[in-house]
Amino acid sequence: MLNVQSITKSYGKKQILDGISFSIQEGEIVGLVGENGAGKSTLLQILATLAKPTKGKIFLNDQAYDEHKKNIRKQIGFVPQDIAIWEEFTVEENMAFFEKLSWVNKSKQQLKQLCIDMSLDKWKEPVHTLSGGMKRKLNLAISLIHDPKIILLDEPTVGIDLKSKKEIANHLKTLATEQNKIIIYISHDMDEIISLCNRILCIGDDPFYQNILESSGKHIVTF
Amino acid sequence: MKPIIQTRLIHWKKQWPSLIFWLVLPLIATLFIINMTSIVQEDSKIPIGIVMEENTPMANNLLKSIKASPLIRVYDLSESEAKQLIESHELDSAFVIESGYQQQIKDGNRNRLITGYQSDLSFAYTPVSEMIISYVQQDTGKAKAAHTIMNVAENIDPDTRYSFDEIINKIQEVQSQENLIRTNFSFSNMVENDHKEELTVWNIWGLWAIFSILSTLLLSDWIIKEKYSGILPRFAFIRFSFKSYLIQNVFLYSSILFIFDSLAALGFHYFLNEPVSLKLVGAIIAFRITCSAGAFLLALLFKHIYLFYNVSFTLVLWITITSGAIFPIERLTDRFPWLTYLNPLHPFLNQEFWGLWMIIFIVIIGIWFAKGEKLNA
Ligand SMILES: Nc1ncnc2c1ncn2[C@@H]1O[C@H](COP(=O)(O)OP(=O)(O)OP(=O)(O)O)[C@@H](O)[C@H]1O
Ligand SMILES: [Mg+2]
Repeated sequence: MLNVQSITKSYGKKQILDGISFSIQEGEIVGLVGENGAGKSTLLQILATLAKPTKGKIFLNDQAYDEHKKNIRKQIGFVPQDIAIWEEFTVEENMAFFEKLSWVNKSKQQLKQLCIDMSLDKWKEPVHTLSGGMKRKLNLAISLIHDPKIILLDEPTVGIDLKSKKEIANHLKTLATEQNKIIIYISHDMDEIISLCNRILCIGDDPFYQNILESSGKHIVTF
Repeated sequence: MKPIIQTRLIHWKKQWPSLIFWLVLPLIATLFIINMTSIVQEDSKIPIGIVMEENTPMANNLLKSIKASPLIRVYDLSESEAKQLIESHELDSAFVIESGYQQQIKDGNRNRLITGYQSDLSFAYTPVSEMIISYVQQDTGKAKAAHTIMNVAENIDPDTRYSFDEIINKIQEVQSQENLIRTNFSFSNMVENDHKEELTVWNIWGLWAIFSILSTLLLSDWIIKEKYSGILPRFAFIRFSFKSYLIQNVFLYSSILFIFDSLAALGFHYFLNEPVSLKLVGAIIAFRITCSAGAFLLALLFKHIYLFYNVSFTLVLWITITSGAIFPIERLTDRFPWLTYLNPLHPFLNQEFWGLWMIIFIVIIGIWFAKGEKLNA
């Protein structure tokens, strides 16, 4: 269980997050929505240990973030908003590169399966020849190499076709239901959020999002 | 270290032509330049024809002395060949050692021993002929001395007889042992070089060092490429921090470069007879550390790769100039001796291990590494 207790974040005098608390169970997919600049990425960075909250505590299965950072990091799969892959490598080389540097040992077959699972069937092609959708899938696959417990995704499907979006969403659903992962998902695509997530966290007090989301019947928390 | 090697190999698989190029550049370029300049030196020697009309020890000795002169190149020719080549100006001048040379010398005759040929374009005829005359005079002098000794010996002790050849041989022996007689000729516009001890890169290891700095700098471009490739966020979630990834890769690159440095030492030993010593190996290791550390620190400062290339070339040019390779800087270094110590090539060319820059670079890298990771916020 991921437990977030009254997180506050300010940059200088500017307060971005103000006393956010929630907890997420294994197997849950939680959507994170809000207008531009609301602080979604900031919250995700904090959950990924990449930024420190100004105040507040976070626990993963009773382990405090600030005390067990190294151990917590091994359980985090972070999918950056900007694609973080080697453009000149093939899919295979990208997977091999990050597997070698990871904490785990995976066979080539296992790595290939990881790609096939999300319908990334190109293996020998150089990444720069791939479509945006394929790159996004690889960006996600690399983050899953070390079997993380929590998967944090910052707009992982921005700018790609509907089919690729569905394929990624389907795979995330499988990961949550079959492997009990905790998934936190940022998107500006409300249809995607509604169809994918069990619960929705809305940052900011703009009633706009609430109005759209309420009709979906999902559980919504606003900060 | 194993994962670092494995992942670097994936990169190198894409880059091997340029990698190999920069690794062998210092060795190949140095060999090329050294060969070119010695060919140029060979070309600047004046071509002289010598026609040997007789084959006696004395005549051969004379030929050997002429050939030993550093400013001329001697061709053995027949008289007609020599005349032809002078007409076509392929030879500056030619000299015939006439038949009967040894006998004439023995007999004390000093006429018609050597005949000289020149054309209207010959400019070395006079100095070369003067040089040859001085050698001939040595021979006639020796002959005179031999006759005198024979006469004196006969007067003192008529029973012991020295032959003329015995005495000449003895004189030659003494002469070569003691270096009594020495003839040099030089052209008035050519000042004889007497080399002072000074920092110069215009030698094998100096040239190599310049090229080596250049290739180390250009091989360090991966640091900039990878720092700005966008993969940085991933380093929080793998086994290596970005800094330790960088440091270990720099170590790997330095090791590969050191292998090629050693190959260069072997190459220079094999092709140019450069001595290899333990001191040299120590100096190469220190130079390698300095070079790799410096290139690494420089690359860390840059975001744009072409700016880095430009600065690298400029820096190498600057080091070349301040080492006095392009124009002499003794005046400057005489007045400001510390300039020599600032030169990164100084310890290497003096085959020393410790250098100012090596220490500075290592300290800076230590501080940089100890400061920890930005991502670890
Ligand atoms: N390092 C930083 N220093 C100062 N301010 C920052 C920093 N990072 C983010 N901010 C500010 O914090 C606010 C929230 O940024 P954040 O990126 O979390 O928003 P977001 O909800 O992800 O927006 P978007 O939908 O555009 O991605 C913004 O106003 C941004 O300018
Ligand atoms: Mg964002």
